[in-house]
Amino acid sequence: MIETLSAPGVASDEGSWERFEALYRSSRSDLYAYVATLLRDPAAAEDVTALAFERAYRRRRTFDRRRGAERAWLFGIARNAALDELRRRKRLARLAVEPDDPAADVADEGAEVTLRRTAVRAALRKLSAREREIVALKFHAGMSNAEIAGLLGVSESNAGTLLHRTMEKLRKECDATT
Amino acid sequence: MRRLDEYPIDPEVAAALDAIDATLAGDAVDPRHAELAELALLLAAERPEMDAGFADSLDERVERRFAAPQPAAGSGGAHRPLRGWLAPAAGLGSAALAAAVVVVILAGGSTGTHPRSAAPLPAISSGPARASSGSAHAASVPAQALKSASGSASTSASGSPSTSASGSPSTSASGSPSTSASGSLSTSASGSASSAGGSTSSASGSLPTTASGQASSSSAAAQPGPILQPPANGRKIIQSAQLALSTAPSRIDTVAQEVFDVVGQENGIVSSSTVTATGGTGGYAQFQLSVPSSALPQTMAALSTLRYAHVSSRTDTTQDVNDQYQSDVNRLADARALRTSLLKQLANATTQAQIDSLTAQIHDAEASISSDQATLRQLEHQINFSQITLTINSPVPVPVPVASGSGGFTLHTAAHDAGRVLTVAAGVALIALAALVPLALVGALGWWVTATLRRRRREQALDTV
Repeated sequence: MIETLSAPGVASDEGSWERFEALYRSSRSDLYAYVATLLRDPAAAEDVTALAFERAYRRRRTFDRRRGAERAWLFGIARNAALDELRRRKRLARLAVEPDDPAADVADEGAEVTLRRTAVRAALRKLSAREREIVALKFHAGMSNAEIAGLLGVSESNAGTLLHRTMEKLRKECDATT
Repeated sequence: MRRLDEYPIDPEVAAALDAIDATLAGDAVDPRHAELAELALLLAAERPEMDAGFADSLDERVERRFAAPQPAAGSGGAHRPLRGWLAPAAGLGSAALAAAVVVVILAGGSTGTHPRSAAPLPAISSGPARASSGSAHAASVPAQALKSASGSASTSASGSPSTSASGSPSTSASGSPSTSASGSLSTSASGSASSAGGSTSSASGSLPTTASGQASSSSAAAQPGPILQPPANGRKIIQSAQLALSTAPSRIDTVAQEVFDVVGQENGIVSSSTVTATGGTGGYAQFQLSVPSSALPQTMAALSTLRYAHVSSRTDTTQDVNDQYQSDVNRLADARALRTSLLKQLANATTQAQIDSLTAQIHDAEASISSDQATLRQLEHQINFSQITLTINSPVPVPVPVASGSGGFTLHTAAHDAGRVLTVAAGVALIALAALVPLALVGALGWWVTATLRRRRREQALDTV
């Protein structure tokens, strides 16, 4: 899934555009899922996703593959934009976010599965932003632990530890709910 | 150095993480991680999906390559124009700074730091300072004229009996005053000349200005001007002059002989002379002349127009000693009258004591008469014979720097100019570095602090939401 770019400035403008378009196609859904999970606001997630791609397009010539993969570079841009959005929300005294309905979209599933999904959603809402980010990167963006570590600026073992702790917290919350 | 969070992960934790990865990859997991695998699948199922409308809209924007970017989520779209201006503005500022530095350096170089831009040297330098008692040679530059004027004044004080006797201060043309004992004032002006071309500069303030009618002196320009003569009003005046000539080194002997001839024609006396002919540069001659005062103008005129010599400086000094002369005459007459009276008393003396006393007084009176006569004769000699201090120098020629462009374009000049250009360029670069490096360091520090603070604030946003 991860693609790499050649050194910037070497290829033509059309070549860089093609690589950007390929990156866009391969990462669009994952990026939105990550941002939406982090922000818990679909509208803000759409804005941040669009902004991240636009910034990446503007800065595509500054990409340096020696500093990481292209996908990690794109997610770094999106992360900064999402964190700026979180800061902006904080300055605006927290926008009233429409609470998710834990029972939504599960009407046609079995009772057991419905119960489990409802419990998971409830547990997710209790996670901190940092924990939600780990979940989003791992389960929604499909990143490996090494990629997560690179994006967050921590070691791979540290990223694994953070993920394990978050999973343990979720499991306890789910058990408590059910 | 190993980071603190790089220690090996716990085996149990590693096994759990492997189970998660296996679950997401669709592989089977250990039954003891079944609950974790189920949770992983539930979390993956909670992945938010992009709205189809938004996906289409985003696809369209990407296809247009964000041709009309819409500011979203308070993005930095408004910052782009500013950032777009930063680079040209920084470039323009740097160029302006470099241009200013170049202008400053070039301006500084043209005002004296560049050897070839310095004030042109005189073609002939001043003569060697061997004339301890003679007037120094005056060259063409004002500073040397100043030295010459000062030298003339000192010569006048030491060599001219009249000036020496009065110690009259003279204010030279260059404005260097000296204080006299008598308080009388004379104004001396000095000219300068270049032996090569005979270029002259006129004497400034050369008119003989006699304060209190006691003494005056004037220094003429290099070019022989009108011979100054005191007014013929019967007053007793001591005149003296200092004359500095310059000639070619090979003409020292010829000019010296001409001096002897002139003095002989005017019935004057060469009191002393020193002629040093080196055969090369640096020849030197000095004369102490005594000529009848009535012939002083003609003598000075002749000396100033010698065939192979140019006048470097000329100083004419006059001192009015009429009062002193009359005083000496009166004192002598009084002494003679006293002796006549004593002789009459001696003729009428009756006792030996009177005779002895009168004889002694007559003896003293005669001694006084003799002294007064000597003084008067000396004064009359000074009045009747004027002293001339004459020096002849053969200056060392100084190579005239070739002006740019007049000597033609040669490889040497081209190499010199190229080296100069490179030196200036290196200097400009060095100065620019000295100015820009601190600015760059401050800018880098500011950027680092800003980036660190922004990163920290972003991380804090994760902790507070």
